[in-house]
Amino acid sequence: MTLVINGRECAAGGSLLDAVLATGIDLPHLCKDDNLPAIGACRTCLVEADGRIVAACSVPAASVSRVETEAQRVVQLRRGVLELTAGMLARRDGTAGGPCSRAAAEAFARDAADVSRYHVRNRDHVDNSNAFFSFHEDACILCGRCVVACHDLQHIGAIGLAGHGTKARVTPGAGVPFNQSICTSCGSCVAACPTSALRPAGGLP
Amino acid sequence: MALLSFPASNLLPALHQAFARDGVLLHAAVVEAARQSGIPLARAWEVAAACPDFQLNPIPPADRVCAGLSCILAGAPADPSPASTGCQARCYDSPVAGHDGPFHEFAIREQGQVLFPDVPDWEGLERARALGPESALALVDDSGLRGRGGAYFPVGRKWTSALAQRRPLALVVNAEEGEPGVFKDRGILERRPRRFIEGLAIAMNVLAPSVTVVFVNGAAECARTELAAALDAFRVALPSQPLVIAGGGGYVLGEETTLLNAIEGRKPVPRLRPPYPVESGLWGMPTVVNNVETIANLSVVFREGATAFRAIGTADAPGTKLLSVSGRVQRPGLYEVPMGVTLADVLQVAHGPASGNVAAVLAGGPSGGFLPISEFGVRLLPGLLHATGAVTGSGGLVFLDSASDIRQAALAMAAFNAAESCGKCTPCREGTPRACDMLATGQLAGLNELLDVIGAASLCGLGQMAPGPIRSALHFWPELFR
Repeated sequence: MTLVINGRECAAGGSLLDAVLATGIDLPHLCKDDNLPAIGACRTCLVEADGRIVAACSVPAASVSRVETEAQRVVQLRRGVLELTAGMLARRDGTAGGPCSRAAAEAFARDAADVSRYHVRNRDHVDNSNAFFSFHEDACILCGRCVVACHDLQHIGAIGLAGHGTKARVTPGAGVPFNQSICTSCGSCVAACPTSALRPAGGLP
Repeated sequence: MALLSFPASNLLPALHQAFARDGVLLHAAVVEAARQSGIPLARAWEVAAACPDFQLNPIPPADRVCAGLSCILAGAPADPSPASTGCQARCYDSPVAGHDGPFHEFAIREQGQVLFPDVPDWEGLERARALGPESALALVDDSGLRGRGGAYFPVGRKWTSALAQRRPLALVVNAEEGEPGVFKDRGILERRPRRFIEGLAIAMNVLAPSVTVVFVNGAAECARTELAAALDAFRVALPSQPLVIAGGGGYVLGEETTLLNAIEGRKPVPRLRPPYPVESGLWGMPTVVNNVETIANLSVVFREGATAFRAIGTADAPGTKLLSVSGRVQRPGLYEVPMGVTLADVLQVAHGPASGNVAAVLAGGPSGGFLPISEFGVRLLPGLLHATGAVTGSGGLVFLDSASDIRQAALAMAAFNAAESCGKCTPCREGTPRACDMLATGQLAGLNELLDVIGAASLCGLGQMAPGPIRSALHFWPELFR
């Protein structure tokens, strides 16, 4: 089966997200690390695949024949998800975070998300306890990349996403500050963060 | 209790044990459970903090009141207070106290082949054994039995897909039944345990699973006790003793991949599909997840044969369905009806010919939708009953009789979906509370677009179905929400 993305024939290897990115289309993918399995939490890599709306990160490219990334409905849905994402962020520019920290801001711009559609819900937890990095909840989109990097990449397991629904929060240990957890300050979580929620010390004022 | 060689699976049982011992979940108990299970503390804390059953509740159980929809309609306070609990699954007796209680025989209002009183033989199981796994699988296929948890996937096809993997497989019975307004699985486990055990024994004979788990709602203590007694009394019928695991609460736990995560000691949130559980489920094994009612139906299929089973219901959806009926009817309770009867038929038997003021029904609870009485000619079949959201689902029907009922029920379902979102994916976590606020305050601009995003972009079925109650209520009764 050949894979056609936006009218162009493509190689159907890996996930649909891999295939789309390989063609040079910069589809948002806020919770997907290049070197880690898909999480499927952010729902920003939505595409239309054979007429169905799917998150491209979680579909094998070989199972699909026709993909549209810019059809009207899928663009609208992607924008809708990004607007909900923006509604979590008191600070959206992502400057002075880790290497991926501009990803969310770039996604808002790419899909023309109305970042002021929803009032920002109040989340203000700050953890400055670690000497090398800090955590700022008002910039966190709960994508889970930091938790996967800590547990599945580094095999440390210092942090989790504790609490359900809107109460979920990146949480070291059993609800302690970073410096009282088993965190080794390796920096993998900061490197994975698609906003500036986890940022190097000496970052944002 | 160590589950095979997977110490992480000790986490949930260890948390339950500590909670039962201490009455609250102490920090030290989570530390100890994490150590025993070989799980980093932060990951164990994710699980403990995501299980509503384990939270410290200073109100003694005897003083709690059920705040499920039928109990609110029957006069329980609608506004959440520290004393209010989620649905206690005794909606046929509302208002009820906020703790578990036994399922009484009187609540079985109409019985058919599934709810017919247990008989003291193993005719169905003997037939399955005589047929052998291959022919028994063919019989399941021929019967046309579909899953009764709400998705109605053909059972024979699910089993065939799992067996086709040619690897050791797992059988998981979903007895979580966390949907408010539904009490059929508790009814089967407590009142017809032998039918369930026979179905389970048949499934174990056909699938020859390496591991069998019955996952029961953590708050359903009576059902768990009856199940344990039945597994003990009828152990001779079973090829091996299944593991019984109690959940920690939360609506999302009934979603099958969430349930698999919970058994594995992971945070109860849905997994991505693919892979589907039949390909890679519990501990990566091909896994069959079937609902309690589905399992009980296997007993019927093997006793009656495929032809007799197909004689009831429709060609595409043979057999009966257990309906949990509550709300403004004279005879709330459990009704076993042929698949394909109309809502009007159900109302007729549950309420009598003088149908009073019944104006609407909530079909499918927080994952379903509302229908006005003008639509009661619709037949209860798999899939949508109306494009705006109502479904047969797992068979929960709450009848409503006034505009204020409908408004209250719509707001209650919107609030339930917002409160019960597991928080994993953005559209459901961020969208459902905003949709609930918009409905409650009458700020409806942009609400339809938001519901479309929640329905199309959410990760799991519960998020995808969450718009139903709001969309259907606004479609039929827009004036109630301006």
